[in-house]
Amino acid sequence: MVSGTKTKKTKTKAKSSGNGKGSVISVCLGTGGIAAGGDKVFEKFQKVIKSKKLDTATGKRVCKTAKTGCRSLCARDVLVDVTVPGRQALTYERVTADMVPQIVEEHLVNNTPVKKWLAKDSYHKFHETQQRLILGNCGAIDPESIDEYVIKGGYKALGKVLKKMTAKEVISEVSKAGLRGRGGGGFETGWKWDSCARQDADEKFIICNGDEGDPGAFMDRSIMEGDPHALLEGIVIGGYAIGATKGYIYVRAEYPLAVERLHIAIKQAKERGFLGENILRSGYSLDIVIKEGAGAFVCGESTALQFSIEGKRGMPRTRPPQSVEAGLWDKPTCLNNVETFANVPVIINRGAKWYSKIGTTKSKGTKIFALTGNVKNTGLIEVPMGITIREIVFDIGGGIPKKKKFKAVQIGGPSGGCLPESYLDKPIDFESLLEAGAMMGSGSLVVVDETTCMVDMARFFLDFCAKESCGKCPPCRVGTTLMLEILIRITQGEGKEEDMDVLEKMSDEINTMSLCGLGQSAPNPVVSTLRYFRDEYIAHIRDKDCPTATCVALHKYTVIPDKCTKCTLCIRNCPVDAISGSKEEVAFIDKEKCIECNLCYEKCNFMAIK
Amino acid sequence: MSDINLKIDGKNVTATKGTNIFMAAKNNGIYIPGLCYHPKLTQYGGCRLCMVEVTERGRTRHRFSCAQPVSEGMSVKTKTSEVDKYTKSVVEYLLAHHPLDCPTCDKSGECGLQDITHDLKLSAGRFKTVRLDAPMKRDNPLLEYNTNRCILCGRCVKVCKEVEGVGAIDYQNRGIKTVIGTAFDKPLDCTFCGGCVSVCPTGSWQDRTLKFRARPWELKKTSTICTYCAVGCTVVVNTKKNEVMRITSDDDLGINEGNLCVKGKFGHEFINSSRRVKTPLMRKSGVLRPVTWEEALNHVSKRFTEIASEHGGKAIGGIGSEKCTNEDNYLFQKFCRTVLGTNNIDNISNIKSPSLNRLVNESVEYEIAAASVEEIEKADTLFFVGADVAEAHPVIGSMTRKAILANNAKLIVANARNIEFNNSAKKEIRMQYSIGTQTQLINTLSILILNGELVNYKKVETSTENFKEWYSSLKKSDMGIRKVSTLTNVSEEVIKSAAELLAKPGKCYIICGKDIEEDPSAENAIRALMDLCALINAGGSDKVSLVFSRANNNSQGVNDMGVVPDFLPGYLDINDPANRKKFEDSWRVTLSDDVSMEDSDNVFDLASKGKIKALYVMGENPIVSYQNGKKAKAAFKKADFVVVQDSFLTETAQLADVVFPASTYAEKEGTFTNMGMTVQGLNKVIEPVGESRPDWQIVCELAKKMGHPFYYISPKSIKDEIGKCVSIYEGIKNNNLKKDGSRWVASVYDGNLERDGFRWVSYDNLERDGFRWVSSEYDKYEPLKYIFEISKKRSPVIKKNRDYPFILLTGYSLRHQGTYSRNSSSLVSLASECFIEINANNARRTKIADGDMVKIESAQGKLKLKAKVTSRVPEGAVFVSEDYEWAPINDLRVNEYTNVRISKTR
Repeated sequence: MVSGTKTKKTKTKAKSSGNGKGSVISVCLGTGGIAAGGDKVFEKFQKVIKSKKLDTATGKRVCKTAKTGCRSLCARDVLVDVTVPGRQALTYERVTADMVPQIVEEHLVNNTPVKKWLAKDSYHKFHETQQRLILGNCGAIDPESIDEYVIKGGYKALGKVLKKMTAKEVISEVSKAGLRGRGGGGFETGWKWDSCARQDADEKFIICNGDEGDPGAFMDRSIMEGDPHALLEGIVIGGYAIGATKGYIYVRAEYPLAVERLHIAIKQAKERGFLGENILRSGYSLDIVIKEGAGAFVCGESTALQFSIEGKRGMPRTRPPQSVEAGLWDKPTCLNNVETFANVPVIINRGAKWYSKIGTTKSKGTKIFALTGNVKNTGLIEVPMGITIREIVFDIGGGIPKKKKFKAVQIGGPSGGCLPESYLDKPIDFESLLEAGAMMGSGSLVVVDETTCMVDMARFFLDFCAKESCGKCPPCRVGTTLMLEILIRITQGEGKEEDMDVLEKMSDEINTMSLCGLGQSAPNPVVSTLRYFRDEYIAHIRDKDCPTATCVALHKYTVIPDKCTKCTLCIRNCPVDAISGSKEEVAFIDKEKCIECNLCYEKCNFMAIK
Repeated sequence: MSDINLKIDGKNVTATKGTNIFMAAKNNGIYIPGLCYHPKLTQYGGCRLCMVEVTERGRTRHRFSCAQPVSEGMSVKTKTSEVDKYTKSVVEYLLAHHPLDCPTCDKSGECGLQDITHDLKLSAGRFKTVRLDAPMKRDNPLLEYNTNRCILCGRCVKVCKEVEGVGAIDYQNRGIKTVIGTAFDKPLDCTFCGGCVSVCPTGSWQDRTLKFRARPWELKKTSTICTYCAVGCTVVVNTKKNEVMRITSDDDLGINEGNLCVKGKFGHEFINSSRRVKTPLMRKSGVLRPVTWEEALNHVSKRFTEIASEHGGKAIGGIGSEKCTNEDNYLFQKFCRTVLGTNNIDNISNIKSPSLNRLVNESVEYEIAAASVEEIEKADTLFFVGADVAEAHPVIGSMTRKAILANNAKLIVANARNIEFNNSAKKEIRMQYSIGTQTQLINTLSILILNGELVNYKKVETSTENFKEWYSSLKKSDMGIRKVSTLTNVSEEVIKSAAELLAKPGKCYIICGKDIEEDPSAENAIRALMDLCALINAGGSDKVSLVFSRANNNSQGVNDMGVVPDFLPGYLDINDPANRKKFEDSWRVTLSDDVSMEDSDNVFDLASKGKIKALYVMGENPIVSYQNGKKAKAAFKKADFVVVQDSFLTETAQLADVVFPASTYAEKEGTFTNMGMTVQGLNKVIEPVGESRPDWQIVCELAKKMGHPFYYISPKSIKDEIGKCVSIYEGIKNNNLKKDGSRWVASVYDGNLERDGFRWVSYDNLERDGFRWVSSEYDKYEPLKYIFEISKKRSPVIKKNRDYPFILLTGYSLRHQGTYSRNSSSLVSLASECFIEINANNARRTKIADGDMVKIESAQGKLKLKAKVTSRVPEGAVFVSEDYEWAPINDLRVNEYTNVRISKTR
């Protein structure tokens, strides 16, 4: 239930999920919500409502509790919507179990909302700026109820496709809409479907890639947890288009909630005839199987994923043949990302013409980004393609917290790149990002403020790729490790002048020689930081200085007088009493006594120690 | 397959469609570096060294040549500065953590990584990192694995899975920590085929039988034919100073595509074993003592002459060898028949299955057996009947897996035991029939094919003889599928689907195994199998071919050469005076007309009865290998004079009066005939060890001493005589055996052009057409009409015995075979124990656990063996391999089914 200023819309939604009469309390139970204690809040509501006997049908006051999927603004979790009949739905933010009795008492019984806990304006602004085509249902419906999805117009697209459209028409609709793969590569979905549909084979497979491995990306999880039926609908439509005989959803085992809800959704869809034998009596049958991945990042690569489904070690293979020719079990296979499939019902329902109006010339529709890092409103955002980074970071994200300065955004996860301030006003689409040295990737967007060392960040992402390399080819397996060794050396003040040159050359070599996307894009963070933040590398190498004082080995353990607020926190924490100073005097570190334990640096809230 | 034209480095090149650039270049002498691609394995693309620049349809891109198929008009550049730069970078990465311990690496000198580094002129790299230093994995006597040298090319993983069907090793971990290893790092437990060593481009996998005794460049490499089983793999024997150091293989030589088994690869230590008999031995005052050749030969000649003049030549019996060459055996039988004047000669394979020779010969004449073993790779369907391929003929297993991988071949396995055969066939039918019901099962397949009209009934009727009678007799004896299913314990559906599969068009191979051939009901079962093949061949569109399993490297040849009582060389019936005349003319002697009849006593029976006074054994250990070991032992004890010619002091040799030291296969020339009837030439690898001599030479010397000198200067001259005298080997001479690499080959099937027997033709002017080589003459040839025979022989039944409740089954073992493997120390330390396999249910009832010592007793004898509780044997039966010489299970056996009892012991 997306509450906001669009009162009209909210009201209809409230009605639908409230079953006409009675109040509804919707608690965000996405993974973020649960992590913030959502399940406890949910239980408490149930308990309190029961004890107050609000759930029994005495008169018109029937109270219900409802689960919803991710509400996107995870920074404010737990988010709770309270809808009293005839009144506008109101959202409480940062709800804890302790707050529950008061909310029930005042809002439900006395009909006076607890104003101090209601979501602030920024919450509404966060949602207003977005265009939630895909995430619309997430947080608004109970993901474990097919009815709520159907009431929202769910499976209408499937009905339309199966009854009124040929496979070719479906493909042409998707092509016309200009939908491109949301998994990272941006491959045209219609083209892929078409080439798979052309293959002549006794069996064909459609696979949904839900192996979302990028650190900081969770849009696929939110869809699977919050709106699993939309995904199923998209897969069945895709399956129909290519003539698939079986479907797979490959989900990371680290997403237990997604797995559970998908299982429920599949069961429900089968019961209703949206899945399984003879779907909607159209003659088309498709069974969907959930395959849980064992946690290898590389299994997000399509060929490795297929091997993993076959029960083999997830290692990418060379192409040709392409998956559409010989993929899973050597049969034509079409593989798309969760978000891509979720776009499909929207395209069918609203039409390619309408859909293609959103976005830029080459990149159509909306894109979900996982906004994390040094930004106020961390969470999921869905925005039209072509939006600028500035809009995302400052308008939706609410800017950088603690009045720090914006430094860069890392787009596209570990294989993406870092874009500096100069790119703030560049519109985001597949091409422009590639041009700038980043990539769309799965859509993780990490905001970096002035306190982050770019060399260290490149090291972090490279470390991730080096560890997640499947080990098949030497450029990725050995090359990334060697690059990592150099980066570590630089962050430890042992960098050499020629290192930057070596890193650049190696990046090119690894990019050219690696077998799969993981290896090819692994050096991207290094390339982009070297391109935009070369001076930081130079500082590390020549001056043995980390400008942001992040790299511990380069700390000189001196106090920057301008920054010191004389709070004496460092003095109180120094284990060897090496720091002198007082509330009146800036701190001073005695080098003789200092044992370089780094405690003062960690404790200082003002980055005054270097 | 259409041809594709492309340009590689400016050179116009033609390649078949589907070839990758790497192979197209290699086939045209253009070198592209690469360490992971191997033609016999599936493509991997992991080493990233084979990058080339490809211009195609106006676009120039970098492509990896092993992954990129050729396309029309493509232009490839293998050497550009870019390619060079990137390739170098990858090698530099590969070497960054490599231990660079070339001075102490056995691979140094033949290392792919070393060669590529050298070719690329790589100098000290940009990286100075810590060298890997993980401990060497040495958990078995044959193979060791050094993860530090590994470049993770994946070849060993693939060869293990795809060729050997084992999958004992795979990748572990991720990223830089990725290594090759076994599941849970347990000690290597596999077939030890050594395929990993053969394909490893670096020094990661090492052959421990070589270990530090020689550097690769010191080794002289001689290819020859393996001396163990009947597949006839080409081995490359590596020697240094007249001593065998190791055995390698060559993918381009022979029929085995570089694949070997544990015996072929590691079982070479017997050649230079200290236990070899190095001088002639003579029994003096009850003890065998070394003597000179002169003394030994004189003594033997004197005694043979005495016995022959006293009791007649037939009082001397001869046992030929399944291990010796055709030339040795030919000369041996010629010596026995002409010099000694006896027809009482035989060989163990013939004694074990007396009807086999006749049936094989017929099958060849009727073109039922019509293809050499390597043709298996082209099969669409494979049917193993009573054949334990994985244990008996491992490389045929590899060929089968290749057919499964390449042609998607289907597999039917019928066996009384639940044998293992690891493969990836999408369709595999298993028929584990009850012991002794194989004939019914096979006949039922024929009936199902006929009843279901899966073949053209009319075609069968016109192209064969006696079909109607046979069919009606078959129908008469048919008990209906339901009953057959109960009797054989194979479900109706399975039998039906097997019949359907066999009758399906496509190339089908039936491998008839020892469990059929050496079963008491062998003749009926084989006959049924032949009928089945004839039926499908006559009524269907494609060929079914039968391959008869043979035990040893020259089990086929020894029979072809006529070391049997009832056939002269080339299966000419000795009872026919015309046949005798033919040989009398060419040998210029008079042959004894005192011939043994079918079903008459064999050599050992005669000796036990005192009719044979002297025994002359060449390269055989009948006391252990004869299925009625007790009887053989008694025969040798009873005989007045025993001469054994062998490389080792076997159980039989220990009973001899004179032992001649014989050379092994590595020390001589000659030919072996494998079970697919391919004749392959040996190359002499080393000089004879000690004073040993090749068997043919010993026979020659003996003939000379006895006043009938043979004028052969080398095996070549014997071979020429074989080519002249033996009809089926007609024309076999050095000159018209096609030289294929360094091996001499010809196949009995090369030109089956004449009705009376079959003859050899050279490969010249022949083209391969499916199964066979054909020449223009082939068109004129009409195959012999198959005559269906109505068998009147009853199959022996299993007698129940309350005292001995179990049936003893015997068979081959992968890791051992006879005297040679027993004297190869590494093989013995790998497999030092012969197990008795007991069904899990029986074991539970008899309270025997895995690893317990078990006493196994029959009416004939007893033996103590360690138990292996398994599901491989059916209930009510136990299995013991015959190949462990030190566990002489044959002592317990009789010619019928042997009943035994088992009990737990200490």
